[in-house]
Amino acid sequence: MDEEPERAKRWEGGYERTWEVLKEDESGSLKATVEEILFQSKRRRVIESHEQVRLGMMRHLYVVIDCSRSMDDQDLKPNRLTSSLKLLEAFVGEYFDQNPISQVGIITTKNKRAEKLTDLSGNPKKHIDALKKAVDSVCAGEPSLYNSLNLAVQSLKHMPGHTSREILIILSSLTTCDPANIYELIKTLKSLKVRVSVIGLSAEVRVCTVLTRETGGLYHVILDESHFKELLMMHVKPPPFDLETPSTTPFLETQICLSLGGYFCPQCHAKYTELPVECKVCGLTLVSAPHLARSFHHLFPLQAFTENSVEEHQGDRFCQACQGELKDKTIFTCTSCQSVFCMECDLFIHDSLHCCPCCIHSQIGP
Amino acid sequence: MSDMFIFMAQVYRELQPFVAHPEGGGHGVLEMPSGTGKTISLLSLIVAYQRAFPLEVTKLIYCSRTVPEIEKVVEELRKLMEFYSKQTRESNNFLALALSSRRNLCIHPEVSSLRFGKEVDGKCHSLTASYIRAQHHSNPSFPVCQFYEEFDAVGRQVPLPAGIYNLDDLKDFGRRKGWCPYYLARYSILHANIVVYSYHYLLDPKIADLVSKELAKKSVVVFDEAHNIDNVCIDSMSVNITRRTLDHCQNNVDTLHNTIHKIKETDAAKLKEEYRRLVEGLKEANVARETDVYLSNPVLPDEILQEAVPGTIRTAEHFVGFLRRFLEYLKSRLRVQHVIQESAPQFLKDIYDKVCIDRKPLRFCAERLQSLLRTLEITDIADFSAATLISNFATLVSTYSQGFTIIIEPFEDRTPTIANPVLHFSCMDPSIAIKPVFQRFQSVIITSGTLSPLDIYPRILDFHPVTMASFTMTLARTCLCPLIVGRGNDQVALSSKFETREDFAVIRNYGNLLMEMSAIVPDGIVAFFTSYVYMENIVASWYEQGILENIQRNKLIFIETQDAAETSMALEKYQEACENGRGAILLSVARGKVSEGIDFVHHFGRAVIMFGVPYVYTQSRILKARLEYLRDQFQIRENDFLTFDAMRHAAQCVGRAIRGKTDYGLMIFADKRYARADKRGKLPRWIQEHITDGSLNLTVDEAVQLSKHFLRQMAQPFRQEDQLGLSLLTLEQLESEEMLQKIAQVAHQT
Repeated sequence: MDEEPERAKRWEGGYERTWEVLKEDESGSLKATVEEILFQSKRRRVIESHEQVRLGMMRHLYVVIDCSRSMDDQDLKPNRLTSSLKLLEAFVGEYFDQNPISQVGIITTKNKRAEKLTDLSGNPKKHIDALKKAVDSVCAGEPSLYNSLNLAVQSLKHMPGHTSREILIILSSLTTCDPANIYELIKTLKSLKVRVSVIGLSAEVRVCTVLTRETGGLYHVILDESHFKELLMMHVKPPPFDLETPSTTPFLETQICLSLGGYFCPQCHAKYTELPVECKVCGLTLVSAPHLARSFHHLFPLQAFTENSVEEHQGDRFCQACQGELKDKTIFTCTSCQSVFCMECDLFIHDSLHCCPCCIHSQIGP
Repeated sequence: MSDMFIFMAQVYRELQPFVAHPEGGGHGVLEMPSGTGKTISLLSLIVAYQRAFPLEVTKLIYCSRTVPEIEKVVEELRKLMEFYSKQTRESNNFLALALSSRRNLCIHPEVSSLRFGKEVDGKCHSLTASYIRAQHHSNPSFPVCQFYEEFDAVGRQVPLPAGIYNLDDLKDFGRRKGWCPYYLARYSILHANIVVYSYHYLLDPKIADLVSKELAKKSVVVFDEAHNIDNVCIDSMSVNITRRTLDHCQNNVDTLHNTIHKIKETDAAKLKEEYRRLVEGLKEANVARETDVYLSNPVLPDEILQEAVPGTIRTAEHFVGFLRRFLEYLKSRLRVQHVIQESAPQFLKDIYDKVCIDRKPLRFCAERLQSLLRTLEITDIADFSAATLISNFATLVSTYSQGFTIIIEPFEDRTPTIANPVLHFSCMDPSIAIKPVFQRFQSVIITSGTLSPLDIYPRILDFHPVTMASFTMTLARTCLCPLIVGRGNDQVALSSKFETREDFAVIRNYGNLLMEMSAIVPDGIVAFFTSYVYMENIVASWYEQGILENIQRNKLIFIETQDAAETSMALEKYQEACENGRGAILLSVARGKVSEGIDFVHHFGRAVIMFGVPYVYTQSRILKARLEYLRDQFQIRENDFLTFDAMRHAAQCVGRAIRGKTDYGLMIFADKRYARADKRGKLPRWIQEHITDGSLNLTVDEAVQLSKHFLRQMAQPFRQEDQLGLSLLTLEQLESEEMLQKIAQVAHQT
């Protein structure tokens, strides 16, 4: 009883040095270099993501949320759990926006156990509701990496080979309580081609480094809330599609008949109320046309624009998209239609539009 | 390939000031943080000199502390040689090898299965001694070591083929040829270009005499990890005699007596022959030393060599009688009720007054015993360690009037009721043991990650260095974070000083610090206490206060004990816990095994917490005597030396966590005394330059916040390209005008 009101008072909470963020570093080493490194990696990410790689369209992702004692920590406001759940809500929304024919499931881990909050499904509403409910749950005990990975693998291993199997772990605790040797499990994960990524909320833990390195996932540790969001959003984009896996199963069936209050499977005429879903009777993946259209760009990503300096550019100094003046040092040129864009528009085109507006314009036009 | 360039470039940059050094001759002291390529830099530079001036630098003797460290050096050397042969496209004829004890090199199936070094040595001796082999000659059923026989028969004619040999390579080679790897290695170091072995082969007079005395004068000697070299020197010259030693010795003397009796009946000629040899004296050794073939042995001072063994101990029976008398005298001295401290001359006078033993025969005691053991064909030398110890003591005490002290304590300070008399004959002057090394070899380089303050080493080791330099790390990111925690959250000053040692508030705050840290530091934390007693007290108190339980929620706890097997078990489990994500804390003691020889790379040590300042136990009489000696002889104040000693151990402890540029770790000094300039100033430069005003005298909470921030920064992705141009250089960058200027500038400064 005593603890509850105390926690609510900010001034009695953690000691913080907020001014340190603004501190100018005389020696020019720590702050400056680390931030520069971060900036560079951001730039690289933009460039990398522009490369011509086919990305997996159908994803099966389990998000594991650590609900252990350390999630009570108040370094994210109001505490780590609430903040994470809120960001995850946004993540789920964004995820289904970008990957409409993919599925998500949520697992929580606390008290050395792992529990399934939601099963794999393609319905964002269900997940968001579950996440909203989870805010009130009590954080206690230690998490168990082994149990949560094991739980996720139990359902992921039944997923067809042409889809991606992924696990994303939000880990706050620095310790894990495992019933068996986790390195054996990592081997299994590797052989099943499950990609595990981790976002750490406190510091770099060795076992996660190994886990992500072995399974080909990403491992990041957050600096603050905005960085957390950035890292989370990185996982919205599908991972590179593994071309080695032959897609033996019939790919997609889009001939779905809509009738009052549901969809019928074209093969066996089973009725479903929501899409996308895998037909329980004949195993066909059922999606609607809009879903497919929205995932389409992952198969044919827009080529990266070439980067030039402003000085070299001849002609009008206006961005073709926003019509604003080109103020930045660098400009971007579309490789097919030679239109010029500013950096902001370049990011917008590649991240949201997925097609060059000028190319489209010239296609439609006379 | 480019990696190698990058690496070489880094080496060149960090050691540039040193380049001018070896050809000029002279000695040097170099401090350079571990993991920055200290070993490879030294190796590559000296090898380069060896290749360029094969006549001036004939041999490199690289001394390190432990077997794993020796192996590491050999591996570095192998890489270097591979690089050489790749670059020059010709096979070079370098011979480099590691040498260790028989225990690590023996391939005899029976002998090598023994566990302790002494047992192996004794067993080996009983199979390879000359008279055993002679007996084998007459009676082939007598067991000998076939590997040694084989080596002795053919091994000496063909030198070991050029190449790099670590201990396992030597063993393999030995197995293939059927030669004894130990004797092969000992023989081969004479013509090897590079020898890697332990300090003791050069510093301990007893071993150096056997192994290293014929090494060429034009050698470069490197002592790596040498921050404790003065203690090694002192230990090698000191003798402790307990009642058990005397009892053993009594048995030895009885055995000697019986054997002499038997021999006299069977083979009196042998003893006569020995007598004749002793009359002639130790002339041979003298000739050898004058022609500068041998490394001089401080136990066997020059004057002795010119004289014959005095008549009183020349015959075997007389010598045994002499030993008996000496033994009785020592026994009587151990029967004291209070502590006695006296100098060597006092001791000699007393022994003359009481049992009429003169100084001169005492001086020959060690030599005489060796000779007798040889004559009597005693097979198991290990059995006679007690007698050897006593005779060494006799020789040392009569040879050196200065630099030694004798302390007789009737009981230990901690247990005043249990009689446990000990006679400490303790060396106070490390320069005695190391002097022959400095005199004989043209260049001696003392190096370690933590040698600050540098100027004290030349003073206590009594030599004049040509180069003294402390290097820092060039880092692309600040990968170490030293914090000095001086207060608890309740503002209680944290300190391990005597007055507040038992204070509950301090202990609680220390517990609080560890608890908070265990919650935010990933994987492994290593905590060091100042002594075993202090650790026991604190841990017991934490247990009562329930702190331990709270810590265990975050991490497992392992404790270093004085038992080596227990400790290595704890270490193994600690590493396992760090590896599989459970996280662990290792509680250990400064000056213990963990603080000296074990590295905690990456996740094995993300934070080191130093609870208190690790001063030595100042009430020890040996230490007091040594401090006094240092003050009188070298004008080093007691306090300076104590602080120096404490700080080098503290630095050694915290330095365990950072073993390279990609590594990162917190260094927490939990004692307010660290914030004082006299303490802080004695830390190595590479740690000191990261201690800002903001990291002094922090509270536990502040330290936690800073650590959290630091750990998050360090967890950000870090690639090799990020280091490029800062702490790594490509060939182009290295050859650029700008960089060359920078190097020249740095070289000029130091």
